[in-house]
Amino acid sequence: MNYEIVCGIETHIELATRTKIFCGCTTEFGGEPNTHCCPVCTGQPGSLPILNQKVVEYAIRAGLALNCKINTRSHMDRKNYVYPDLPKAYQISQYDEPLCENGYIELDSGKRIGITRIHIEEDAGKLIHENGYTYIDYNRSGVPLIEIVSEPDISSAEEAREYAEKLQLIMRYIGISDCKMQEGSMRCDVNLSLRKPGDPNFGVRTEIKNINSLSFIQKAVMAEAERQADILDAGGTIVQQTMRYDEATNSVAPMRDKENSDDYRYFPDPDILRFCIDEDKIEEIRASLPELPFDKLRRYVNDLGLPEATARQISRYRKVAEFFEGTLAGGASVKNAANLIVGTIFSHMNTEEEKELFAVRISADQFAELVRLLDEKKINYGVAQGTLQKMLESGKSVDEFIKPEDLAGISDEELESLCREAFDANPKAVADVRNGKDKAINVMFGFIMKKTGGKADIRKAEALLRKMIGHD
Amino acid sequence: MAISKTEIEKLAKLARLSFSDEELERFTAEFDEIIAFADTINQSIEGGTDQIRSVGARMVSFDDLRPDEVMPSLPSEKILSNVEGYNGFFSLERSKK
Repeated sequence: MNYEIVCGIETHIELATRTKIFCGCTTEFGGEPNTHCCPVCTGQPGSLPILNQKVVEYAIRAGLALNCKINTRSHMDRKNYVYPDLPKAYQISQYDEPLCENGYIELDSGKRIGITRIHIEEDAGKLIHENGYTYIDYNRSGVPLIEIVSEPDISSAEEAREYAEKLQLIMRYIGISDCKMQEGSMRCDVNLSLRKPGDPNFGVRTEIKNINSLSFIQKAVMAEAERQADILDAGGTIVQQTMRYDEATNSVAPMRDKENSDDYRYFPDPDILRFCIDEDKIEEIRASLPELPFDKLRRYVNDLGLPEATARQISRYRKVAEFFEGTLAGGASVKNAANLIVGTIFSHMNTEEEKELFAVRISADQFAELVRLLDEKKINYGVAQGTLQKMLESGKSVDEFIKPEDLAGISDEELESLCREAFDANPKAVADVRNGKDKAINVMFGFIMKKTGGKADIRKAEALLRKMIGHD
Repeated sequence: MAISKTEIEKLAKLARLSFSDEELERFTAEFDEIIAFADTINQSIEGGTDQIRSVGARMVSFDDLRPDEVMPSLPSEKILSNVEGYNGFFSLERSKK
């Protein structure tokens, strides 16, 4: 039987503030256990939480970037549950008045995945279970989180992955979190049920907790949809429960019984005053948002004429996009700048993280100077690449490596006589090309490049050589 | 009755507390009285307690929230001074259940 997947994703994102959500303790990762703690974040009686302004600002940034309505009035609630990772036996979160509501993320297909709400809350401490003991480190307790809840609009494993990936990209762009899934600064819970196509009712759903990579999201959705389909096909019923995805076996297994949401006995936290945000403040935050990656992508393709694949690689990382745009502002051409970034600069950056950081030793202006020489055909692409390598290694400007006398280039007459020389010196290569071994032409290119120290325009030389060989 | 014995049992379970049957009966009656009292307050205010929240309570504006500036944390000895610690961690013996 065919079923339709109905899936929603809850995403927790750690905000990159300096201090915790309700106290001045540092949010720095690591540190000796229980050294980033105070009476507030260890839940000592009589301590009073005070809301961090930056947390509210970052959550509003997230809301605006995800097309949400921002509530001008909001408050914090207590969510009660007993577990040692929470020293107060309740988590301070938001229930019926979240900061942001009713947004969406648009997928490549144009389909919109609704965002139900974004609320702010505190993270819990870290538990280590060992030898019958539980050891607790409250350094993470009180680190600010936003929880982004999607509508159940996701209907395939691919869409689930794309949603999470786009969310991650946007959050990084607006600078509110590094969203490193492996390190837990972005964690996804997937809610999933199946229904027969056309059925207006939802089936019983399960929740897969704490998925820590994009590809696991896709795999977990597939595995859980299969598991549920098998049960339904055999005439069984789905039990509403919390599941865990095991990447080693690519399977999903129950974790614990799901508590009903009213078991948390939410109520407004009487220690924290309700807060309001002026429309002016919201507009000020909106004005400070950067152009988002998909808007950039669209602009690079439609207005700048970049091929989509290249545009995607550049717009994906905010710092790369800013460097690229800085280069264009420095008078460089779109095509050459983009190709050198993707072809040469990226070859030094093997990981996503390196591209994200984009720690290059040259400025966009220095890079633009080089690209302009290429644009003006004063150097060829090979020389531009080689020079760029040297610039990246040394952080020095282009004039350190290319002297004015190098820029004269090779005149057309000179190039023609060089080609003639190459043609005469390599009769075997000429014969090979004539017999269909086209690659043999490289021998003559090598000859010319060696003679000119790489300065010859190889495209022009190719045209001349092919004429001589009779293959033009 | 504003609250039932079953609800008290459920709350006790959520709070990881166990009570004898006699205690449960007593708590049910006491809770019921407390809730009835709260209801009396609620009825005496026009619009109920929701009204207190939306009109009466003071609100802070965005500008009055705490600036994101790091303050010193407490030394971990101090944090752990009232508990059984182990290598800087709080430690708990896990129940055998």
